[in-house]
Amino acid sequence: MPQYKLTVNNKEFTANADAEMPLLWVLRDLLDLTGTKYGCGVASCGACTVLVDDVPVRSCQLQVQNCGSAKITTIEGLSEDGTHPIQQAWEKVSVPQCGYCQAGQIMNVAGLLKKYKQPTEEQINEMMAGNLCRCGTYTRIREAIHSVIEEVNK
Amino acid sequence: MKTRFDRRNFIKISSAAGGSLILGMLLPTACKEPEAVATCSFQPHPILKIDNTGKITVYVARQEIGQGVNTSIPMIVAEELDADWKNIAVEIAAYGTMQPGDHDTGGSQSVLLDYEKLRKAGATAKAMLVNAAAAKWKTTATACATEASMVTNSNSKETIAYSELVCDAAKLAVPKDVTLKSPKNYTLIGKATKKSNIKDILTGKAIYGIDVKVPGMVYAVIERCPVLKGKLVKFDDSACKQVGGFIQCVTVASSAAPMHLHAGVAVIANNIWSALQARKVLKVEWDEGTENTDSTEALFTRFAAKSTGKPTYEVFKKGNAPAAQKAATNKIDVTYTAPFLAHGTMEPMNFIAAVTKDSCELWGGLQLPDWATNTIAEDLGIKKEKVKTNLTLMGGGFGRRLHFDYALEAARIAKQIDKPVKLIWDRTDDIRNDTYRPANLHRMQAAWDADGKLQAWQHHHVATSIAIMTDGPEAKNVPEMLGGASSDLWYDVPNVHTGYSHVDFNLQRGWVRAVEICVNTLPVECLIDEIATAQQKEPLAFRLSLLENRPAYETEITKFRQDPNRIANVLKLAAEKIGWSEPRKPNHFMGIAGHHFTFAKAYGAHAIEIELIAPKKFRIVRIVAAVDCGIVINPDGLKNQMEGGTVFALSQALMSEINVENNRVVEDSFFNYKIMHFNEMPPLEIHYVESQEDPGGIGEVGLPTVAPALCNALAAAGSRPRTLPIKKEGFEWV
Ligand code: FES
Ligand code: FES
Repeated sequence: MPQYKLTVNNKEFTANADAEMPLLWVLRDLLDLTGTKYGCGVASCGACTVLVDDVPVRSCQLQVQNCGSAKITTIEGLSEDGTHPIQQAWEKVSVPQCGYCQAGQIMNVAGLLKKYKQPTEEQINEMMAGNLCRCGTYTRIREAIHSVIEEVNK
Repeated sequence: MKTRFDRRNFIKISSAAGGSLILGMLLPTACKEPEAVATCSFQPHPILKIDNTGKITVYVARQEIGQGVNTSIPMIVAEELDADWKNIAVEIAAYGTMQPGDHDTGGSQSVLLDYEKLRKAGATAKAMLVNAAAAKWKTTATACATEASMVTNSNSKETIAYSELVCDAAKLAVPKDVTLKSPKNYTLIGKATKKSNIKDILTGKAIYGIDVKVPGMVYAVIERCPVLKGKLVKFDDSACKQVGGFIQCVTVASSAAPMHLHAGVAVIANNIWSALQARKVLKVEWDEGTENTDSTEALFTRFAAKSTGKPTYEVFKKGNAPAAQKAATNKIDVTYTAPFLAHGTMEPMNFIAAVTKDSCELWGGLQLPDWATNTIAEDLGIKKEKVKTNLTLMGGGFGRRLHFDYALEAARIAKQIDKPVKLIWDRTDDIRNDTYRPANLHRMQAAWDADGKLQAWQHHHVATSIAIMTDGPEAKNVPEMLGGASSDLWYDVPNVHTGYSHVDFNLQRGWVRAVEICVNTLPVECLIDEIATAQQKEPLAFRLSLLENRPAYETEITKFRQDPNRIANVLKLAAEKIGWSEPRKPNHFMGIAGHHFTFAKAYGAHAIEIELIAPKKFRIVRIVAAVDCGIVINPDGLKNQMEGGTVFALSQALMSEINVENNRVVEDSFFNYKIMHFNEMPPLEIHYVESQEDPGGIGEVGLPTVAPALCNALAAAGSRPRTLPIKKEGFEWV
């Protein structure tokens, strides 16, 4: 089985995996980083979102052989202790219900804010449209996004 | 299978157990647990342990599925204990440490059932700590005051922390009677409080069932017969052997009530990806039997035919509605329908089982762990006491995990191999093998006299029954009639006749968040609106005229206390907040609906404003929800649940549907099983009534009035939908 060197959350990892194994399962099952969630495996939910070189990517769609030397960031690596401004905004607004989709939501917002310093409502809608939350926390996600935009642009 | 579950019975049985448990079980167990030997701790009740480090652990027996019981339950304990919230640690109560029924989580019952028990546990612990302090100070308990995990001597003003009293308190007798606080003196209950595990969730540390790993574990996915009652003829796994990581295939037998398993072949591998790859190349031949040509389209035709006859089950009869209807000149006769629905929890079904000859260990999310554990023990032929169940967080429940088909499958696979096995359903498995909310049709008839006074009301609910699915053909309590379709119809009508008919269909059905209340409230709250319109009356005022002067009463069959005035109040609150009586902008229309969520002891209403863009094309401008569920434990949790319930119901009203063709579910992912997306979410506000009534439940109360309020708004705009999702009638929203 091929061996892959991956940079995840600024750490080097080695994974022995089938070349086509999606990054999602490499993270969850081989590297024990279970914060990234499986929701559909077909890019229809966003639960598996991670940052790959600062771009939000559905990790269920990225094969390990295509990760190369990219810098991968998962929810576990967003901050040391949950103090990233997005996590703080999520806490302030009290976003989660079951919480299962939230790692994907937060990582997607991290990507949104890498792309736009001050995203417009249309840009927010466009980027967040693919992240489902069955518990229905959308109103609070929007509020928390606005709160973090305000915070980081202070 | 002997264990039967009935939503209504469950609630009554659980109430009885909940009320009698507390003091009989209060035994001080100080310093008994191994980890407590070094430090001192005091556990006056299975749900509560206080350490001399100051840590206060609340063991939450009800399952956390996103509804917030891991916060509301500890809040109730902490309130009566006068504990500092910062000292509270929350843990999942280990299965087996509580009484039967204590872990069951459904029907919005957790807070409602446990409120007294939790208060007494907190108050008892507090009384013992106070007695210990009083002894120390040689004073009386009444001379001591408590606040923020401290006791104060009211005379000397000395203070002492709970942590320093733990060892002494543990030696004291457990008081028989404790005084509970007056709700007026609550300081924590009623205060918006963040989810106790919010930090874990936001950092990826929260462990859900799907995240659990057990040493030596292998992974499985199942290829299932697409038809529920089909059989396996043969399979060929030679191609699977070419897939790296593949281990073996085993068969999974089908089963009937209570859990309906499709016949299947489990593909086992040393990682989930290999199992999924191997499944793609597995060859299977099924015998689909003769029942493989049915469709939902055909089912709705059968529903319609059935609805014109007499109901199979007479549910509620008052006066003579058919005669009154016949005699009347002003009448209405309409039909509403709604489809099968899937739960679509974000965490798909999954479960871990390890089975030996005479024991079994289980890991995963279960809303009714007693039912699952007992049934699995019986299925494996293992003694109940030899089954160890480990409960986890769930990435959504919504009633899906009341059913435990996925756990039974895992156990049946594990029985055939000598390793623990983690079964995962992919999203297609999850959407195609759900325990679906029944498809339903309602024939509604009503009549009124020349003065506009309602004289007759008839409701014939035709559906595919859940009870017949879980209990088998001999099911009792077949009719699913709460939500205004029984003696709980909240409008005062002299002649009422309601009934239920079951039409069979080869698809597993189950409880989906607010099931029968949603299903019945839609036709009730739309029909009343249609009558108001026919009489050219303002729909809110018309409702209020039927509710406001009706005194509270106990419903005849279901025995729930129902106060129509509380429905009137939430309707008025929703109306006020949306600006119901203010002038409306051109092309803007509003709809409203209210209801009593009987067994949750809660009242809810929604008001929705839409803008009509073209005929049948609209935009939702705003949604306002109002709720009265008695004392609010955690306003933040309540609002979160009402928001979530509203979104869940919006999906149902606008877009979600499960279709069946050739007895196979058509939908297979979130691409075609549509649920609300972020960008589709209209502005939403939640308001609640300040109340001193005992707390009710909240998890399901946000759903039932969304679809009728939306349909009523569309009717006001000129065209009334009577079919959900409304896109089926050509409605488009932007
Ligand atoms: S799991 Fe990747 S998008 Fe759903
Ligand atoms: S919080 Fe449960 S799915 Fe989003």
